[in-house]
Amino acid sequence: MNDRRLRLAAALVAVAGVGVAGYLTWAHYTGATIICTTGGGCETVQKSAYATIAGVPVAVLGLVGYSVILALIAWDAPSAQLGAATFAFVGLLFSGYLLIVQVFVIDALCTWCVINDVVIAPALAVLTAIRLRS
Amino acid sequence: MVGLAFAVAIVTALALVGVALVFRDNGSGTTPTTSPVVDLTGIPQEGTVLGRPSANVTLIEYADAQCPACRFYTLELFPSITKEYIKTGKVKTDYRGFPFIGPDSIKALRFILAAGKQNRLWQLQEALYRYQGGENDGWVTDDLIRERASEIPGLDVDKLFADAESKEITQAAQAAAGKAQAVGVRGTPTFFIKIGNKKPYYIQIRLDLADMRAALDDALAP
Repeated sequence: MNDRRLRLAAALVAVAGVGVAGYLTWAHYTGATIICTTGGGCETVQKSAYATIAGVPVAVLGLVGYSVILALIAWDAPSAQLGAATFAFVGLLFSGYLLIVQVFVIDALCTWCVINDVVIAPALAVLTAIRLRS
Repeated sequence: MVGLAFAVAIVTALALVGVALVFRDNGSGTTPTTSPVVDLTGIPQEGTVLGRPSANVTLIEYADAQCPACRFYTLELFPSITKEYIKTGKVKTDYRGFPFIGPDSIKALRFILAAGKQNRLWQLQEALYRYQGGENDGWVTDDLIRERASEIPGLDVDKLFADAESKEITQAAQAAAGKAQAVGVRGTPTFFIKIGNKKPYYIQIRLDLADMRAALDDALAP
């Protein structure tokens, strides 16, 4: 894969990240997902003590993080590439923590959170890291 | 340079996790309210139905006693709905169980339905929400039910326990989830509105007063 395609892929993944985090932020503030669904668990996760840090929903952190990464990918100077990879790696580690909390602490999984933790965050970390090497 | 960024990322992530653990917002609103959030005295109650029997509009609620969203509805919105629509005789509301979260959901439903035998269903379901614990963490104990039930005027606690164990109630509680799924219920709370004897229709709403009022006003409109 050439660098142009890598950059495009990273940008698309970051957009997906903005989308998911944006949706979860919206859901957090409007209460639109306040429903308990069969096989769901989003309510438990989004209402748990771990869903906010000092009042700030973790979804907002994700939204800010992905937006910054997207901006850095758009900027694309060598320092911006390094910045994007660094941010993406922080995101990956933090997503890992959130996943551990969901599975082992609150014993509930939220589909959109898991998509972020298992697909988007790792993909973005890998893509931005590969670009540093090429 | 890359190595430095890598190190910075790890340190940042660790710091973030540390901050997250220290500043996680614990115990928001978990202290039970000891008195009912709504006074149902004087409102007719018959089995699962609360409200004047002659009310043409019925708000049907599918709920699970373990569901935090149902708790939210009952504690935050139901008092206003009661005051504006049920006490005034415009609407009656019918409780249906959809006990899908776990075995305690079925146990709670048995007692809720048993309270209906004494026309106190709506008081007991409200009381249980005030003392709701985490999903499937075993909070629906006999002791908790006995305490809550004894606070409800006119409710015979021994009869409640006997009815909750009866074959009729046990079967009804066990069949409830299947019945709810058969009409398309997939989560809780789910609301339907029934006008007169017409087929109930599902209302897709956000859990807020404006949406609830709009749906009920629409049903009441001539």
